Amino acid sequence: MSEENWIEVGSTDSIEEEDLIRFDHQDKTFCVYKLTDGFYATDGICTHEAVHLEDGLVMDDEIECPMHQGIFNIKSGEALSPPACEDLKTYPVKVDNDKIFIKID
Amino acid sequence: MKNNIIILGGGQAGIYAAREIRQNDSKSNIKILGEENSLPYERPPLSKDFLLDKKKAEDLYFHSNDVIKNENIEFENISINKVDFENKKLFAKNDNVYSYDSLLISTGSENKKLTLDNNLKNDIYYLRNLEEAKKIKEIVSNKNKITIIGGGFIGLEIASSLSQLQKKVIVIEIGNQLMGRIIPKQIADLVQNTHIEHGNEIILNKQIEKITKKNDDYEILLNDNSLIETDFIIAGIGSTPTVKLFENTNLKLDNGIVTNQFCETSIKDVYAAGDVSNFYHPFYERNMRLESYQHAQNHGICAGKNIAGVKTEYTSIPWMWSDQFNLNLQLTGICDEYDEIIERGNDINNGVIYFFLKNNKIRGACGVGIIGKVGRDIRITSKLTEKETIVDKQILSDQNLKLNKLVQK
Ligand SMILES: Cc1cc2nc3c(=O)[nH]c(=O)nc-3n(C[C@H](O)[C@H](O)[C@H](O)COP(=O)(O)OP(=O)(O)OC[C@H]3O[C@@H](n4cnc5c(N)ncnc54)[C@H](O)[C@@H]3O)c2cc1C
Ligand code: FES
Repeated sequence: MSEENWIEVGSTDSIEEEDLIRFDHQDKTFCVYKLTDGFYATDGICTHEAVHLEDGLVMDDEIECPMHQGIFNIKSGEALSPPACEDLKTYPVKVDNDKIFIKID
Repeated sequence: MKNNIIILGGGQAGIYAAREIRQNDSKSNIKILGEENSLPYERPPLSKDFLLDKKKAEDLYFHSNDVIKNENIEFENISINKVDFENKKLFAKNDNVYSYDSLLISTGSENKKLTLDNNLKNDIYYLRNLEEAKKIKEIVSNKNKITIIGGGFIGLEIASSLSQLQKKVIVIEIGNQLMGRIIPKQIADLVQNTHIEHGNEIILNKQIEKITKKNDDYEILLNDNSLIETDFIIAGIGSTPTVKLFENTNLKLDNGIVTNQFCETSIKDVYAAGDVSNFYHPFYERNMRLESYQHAQNHGICAGKNIAGVKTEYTSIPWMWSDQFNLNLQLTGICDEYDEIIERGNDINNGVIYFFLKNNKIRGACGVGIIGKVGRDIRITSKLTEKETIVDKQILSDQNLKLNKLVQK
């Protein structure tokens, strides 16, 4: 994999624990999460309807959509609770010198 | 022991119950009897994305035929018209007889109908199921000025969808605010303003005296003698639990089928769940009947557990939503038992929430905002309600302070 695919999101202290930030890159939106065991990234829009997950609630390893309470596993993207039934795409994350990077394909 | 389990009503509560029974019991026969010629599907999009053509019928199924078959759940498209609880039998119109050891009744609710001259019965449309939604969608494509009778959730969602399809829409509501009295007047007014901004006409405090057919159009006479001309009429004036089948039986009915916190009815081995059940909620210490997506799902799951012998109390804090234009409205808990109301926010762009408190604890809340803006706070509110947290009212009323600070881990 080439180095260019890693995009800088921001510094590690820009996200509180058990929370997320929205990150827009070109015409796409992502959510980057800080969980107890590290940083994770998913698509930023719910797979049910076009709603930004940045306003959702992070609980343990799950993100709950603010519109209809569809729930996804943040680490695997798996849709866990209806009305969400399509999985959420996830992206690799790395931390380098207190900076967060996500790998977008 | 192998049991015959029958689920009467193939909607949301029914399918979730069936799958939950299978999770706990691999042997019993599970059969769903449903009068709609369709696998169980989601109703919320019927008044929204389905009318707007953003979702098709096949997008609405909860589970595919394969999932249901793989779990060895039988689905039969049949309408039941007689029940014999004593001999544990159900009878269908075509003379089929079904015997059960355990029965779950999940027959949902049905729309109230306007009492009008008989010759207009087929002219007024209602929305409850996929067939009706298909019909409405087809007919409105040729109509321009549409009247919705009833300013409840479903009527307003249809009004929002039809407005987005460039139709002129008039909503006539008998009460002095939209969405009934459980929604705070301030929130009802915010929603009303959004409808008006999009060109919908909202008429409050008016009753319909008479509807007259004029060629292909209609004239609606209101009780202030004003006349409305329209070319299509849809009524959404509330619903009643589907219990006609049980009216002359021993099953205890009172605004639906009366159940305890284990989804058990007054008859042994007979359970009820979803819209049709007036259930005892141990947290609120009273009976209630809810018509909501989350309730149908969770109540169905709870009934499934109890039928499979896993005794489980139903304690879910109520939650529902309504989507109209770019607004998302949410309601949690109960909003009619309170000694104090606290407001959070005053701008629909950031979300506005009203909390209903009793003895310094939240009993319920209602909020509205541009899509995505109230969901997180309403969800946290459900948790605070459930945990009976004594809340810091300063945090509740200040939108700059995060509500999750109030949740005790
Ligand atoms: C247009 C619309 C929009 C909605 N929008 C929202 C929303 O935005 N948010 C929200 O929270 N909730 C919403 N709801 C409510 C939610 O969909 C219902 O609460 C939920 O579907 C109830 O599930 P249920 O299983 O109890 O009943 P249902 O899903 O109604 O299923 C009952 C089934 O039983 C069948 N049946 C009845 N009698 C018999 C018989 N004798 N023999 C065989 N079959 C029978 C019926 O035909 C039906 O298929 C909406 C409802 C409608 C109609
Ligand atoms: S938009 Fe996310 S669950 Fe519906």
